[in-house]
Amino acid sequence: MNQVLQTKNSLSRLERQWLCEAVRLREEQAGPLEDSEAIRHARKAGGTLLQRIESRALWLAQRDGLLEALRHWQQGAALAVALLLIMAVFTGAGLAFAALGDGRAPVNVFWALGSLLGLHALTLLGWLLSLLFMRSNGGALGRLWLWLSEKLARDARAAQLAPALLLLLQRQRLSQWALGLLAHSLWLLALVCALGMLLLLLSTRRYDFVWETTLLSANAFVALTQALGALPAMIGFPLPAPDIIRASGYSAVDAEAARQAWSGWLLGVLVIYGILPRLLLSALCWWRWWQGQAKLSLDLSQPGYGLLRERLQPSSQRLDVEQHQPDETSPSPVQSIVTAAGGAVLVGIELDDRYPWPPSIPDTVIDAGILDSREQRQQLLDELSTHPPARLLIVCDPRRSPDRGTLRLMTELARTAAATRIWLLPLTSDESFEQERVEIWQEELLKLQLPQSQDFPLAWLSTGQNRAAKEGAP
Amino acid sequence: MSQPLILAVVGHTNVGKTSLLRTLTRDPGFGEVSPRPSTTRRVEGARLSAGGEPLLELYDTPGMEDAITLLDYLERLQRPEERLDPPALLERFLAGSEARQRFEQEARVLRQLLASDAGLYVIDAREPVLAKYKDELAVLAMCGKPLLPVLNFVASEQHRDEEWRQALARLGLHALVRFDSVAPPLDGERRLYESLALMLERAAPQLQRLIKDQAAKAEERRRAGGQLIANLLLDVAACRRSVSTQPELEQAAMQELRDAVRRREQRCVDELLRLYAFRLGDAEASELPLLDGRWESDLFNPETLRQLGIKVGGGMAAGAAAGATVDLLLGGASLGGAALLGALAGGTAQTARGYGQRLASRFRGQRELTVDDAVVRLLALRQMQLLKALEARGHAASHAIQLAAPDEREWREGKLPDAVQRARAHPEWSSLNSGARLEQAERQLWMQRLAEQLFSQVALSASG
Repeated sequence: MNQVLQTKNSLSRLERQWLCEAVRLREEQAGPLEDSEAIRHARKAGGTLLQRIESRALWLAQRDGLLEALRHWQQGAALAVALLLIMAVFTGAGLAFAALGDGRAPVNVFWALGSLLGLHALTLLGWLLSLLFMRSNGGALGRLWLWLSEKLARDARAAQLAPALLLLLQRQRLSQWALGLLAHSLWLLALVCALGMLLLLLSTRRYDFVWETTLLSANAFVALTQALGALPAMIGFPLPAPDIIRASGYSAVDAEAARQAWSGWLLGVLVIYGILPRLLLSALCWWRWWQGQAKLSLDLSQPGYGLLRERLQPSSQRLDVEQHQPDETSPSPVQSIVTAAGGAVLVGIELDDRYPWPPSIPDTVIDAGILDSREQRQQLLDELSTHPPARLLIVCDPRRSPDRGTLRLMTELARTAAATRIWLLPLTSDESFEQERVEIWQEELLKLQLPQSQDFPLAWLSTGQNRAAKEGAP
Repeated sequence: MSQPLILAVVGHTNVGKTSLLRTLTRDPGFGEVSPRPSTTRRVEGARLSAGGEPLLELYDTPGMEDAITLLDYLERLQRPEERLDPPALLERFLAGSEARQRFEQEARVLRQLLASDAGLYVIDAREPVLAKYKDELAVLAMCGKPLLPVLNFVASEQHRDEEWRQALARLGLHALVRFDSVAPPLDGERRLYESLALMLERAAPQLQRLIKDQAAKAEERRRAGGQLIANLLLDVAACRRSVSTQPELEQAAMQELRDAVRRREQRCVDELLRLYAFRLGDAEASELPLLDGRWESDLFNPETLRQLGIKVGGGMAAGAAAGATVDLLLGGASLGGAALLGALAGGTAQTARGYGQRLASRFRGQRELTVDDAVVRLLALRQMQLLKALEARGHAASHAIQLAAPDEREWREGKLPDAVQRARAHPEWSSLNSGARLEQAERQLWMQRLAEQLFSQVALSASG
């Protein structure tokens, strides 16, 4: 646990959320992980839902080696960046060499400019277009880096890491800024190398500058040169005078001033149109990345997190109040205490208006009505104890619950009569789902040893004979 | 942090107190529920929190069973020469020996209610207003705590809602809530808490917070459900199998494809059940249009399509029954057409490459199998129905199949959503294919759009 906590603190916010996404993707693709221990730790650690999700993901990541894989991936990514940086250095140097040549032939200024800035301008244009029109694009360089990192990490456990990072970053549209930062920085490095190489070459070799055209007029070149050089001139780079430009159109001007003016102009254009935009864009990307990183958060509406919410931060928790489960008291069987009794009494308990009351009974049977309230109960019990009946039929609706109070009333009533029967009213056909209740009634009555029937025992009530016996003796 | 509001859930035995608690806590394992009386024999509690802050504590109590005798006994406890107020009388009762013997169960209830801020008095609305219930209310009223009657089983046809209303009004209880714990109304919890907030002004802020939190969670769940279904639809729509044009091989591949789709659907069903914290075998789960957590009718049975009212074109009937269509690519079959349209609309290099591969496989004598539109429609309809049934927690789920909300017609006969059509041209979007790239930004984007669409359709019918 402490170890997990330490790792938690050592990880950046991005890394923690990255791991969460990776774990989520993994569970989404390969089914849920066994996480009871992780959940327990996360719940113990407490905090907001987000913190708990992070704790759980971190715990699982550490257990399953995902954390190690993340480190490998990061090493791979760093290695990929290193490779790309070396590539950028050589590319920059190469650009400068290609632009100036070996110095034997005069340098065609516009060719040199093209080879220095052409590719840079094209990729910059592509990046800007993708920024404007495409949703998420880190450019070819960024994708190359991702692909390289994956290859260099060489860890099967890392399968979900790159997608998870992309998903996480895409949510704040951070991936384009991150990959943009990488691409612009690489170009910046390449162009700075080119500048350095250019300075070195221009300082140690002699180059003559020319421009050539067949189709265009010399004025067009003068205008173009001055237009390009206007911005660099503002910060002090030399701008070739119109007559030098014109003269360079015929042959290389063998004058120090002209060479210095041209080389200064070339450096200025490289700085202003190559290095400066890349520097500004790198800064912009870095700023957006830094800003977005602070806002980075997990999308908690993802089903994967929704499923975790209840387990990590349960909205309902059980509270155990009484450990002690009381024993069930079983009622004692009814034994009639009546010796001398006469007549038959019919009584209903808590019946509703569904059944017409009383059912058709001969005059010999006394109708005691339907019992509901305390007073009615007390009154009937008093009457029955003074005039105990020989037969008492209690009518009961099995849809009522067989609660202790009702059963106790039945017991008390039964004690006042010589013989008691319970008639459980039949259910209608659409109430067959209540059959279970009828069975519970029957069980409870059996415990009390009170005989019950589901038909109206009219013969028993009026004569004391069961119908079967009556039919048997004509 | 304020103290949580403490509520005791009281009532006669067997009126569904524990069921109410299960519904309110969304904890299907809470307590014990059975048709027997006095199933709950001890007080059990649950704490509801929002964002880690405890807001409400609910205590389930054993049922009152013998209030008539208890009231009688309480009246006898009152000595002629003194006038005790009801709570003092109860104190005397609770200190006595009968509170540990004959009225042990009732004493537990009263103790809990005395320790609570208020009580929810649960009523089985199918029962007539019997004297024992009135006596019960009289005993409970002696605690001097506010009581909110909750009418349970009001979804049943035989409920006596009006009778109870009048009887409760006579006892001075004018506020009451209809809340069927098996088939709760969609806004039932909100109404319950709002009624409580009116009764307990002090607790109103935390009850409002609870209402808000639960509404937010409900929406989040619905959203997550939409995403699960959207993922399923994209997976199935983008699924394809390449096979040589030999009848036996085709048959085998088709079988394999169908099995894969069936398994994928089941995964979605499982995830939805998990999302809504339903446990198979629970009473509530049996109200869902599922059998043992599975759909009863097979996905690839033409009868299933008919039942859900999905129209299948004449020539396509056989193909739909098979559930898979041979993608004729340029042959103009409905599916090939749809996929091609999707591809043209997509217009990305990847799509073009996909088509190149398929064209090439055609030259090699291979065919591509995909899942038919009708099956995708069926999947969408079924899962949405399940989501709605889960939203309503079993409410009206048994006849959800016949319900035809207008927005669903789109899924029956209208154009399939763009996301599904695009998925046709992106085999790499399906987890059922090898070489899947599920994390692709484009897939995520379209999945989100489809999920949003499904979410709004479910939300629409939930509020309508």
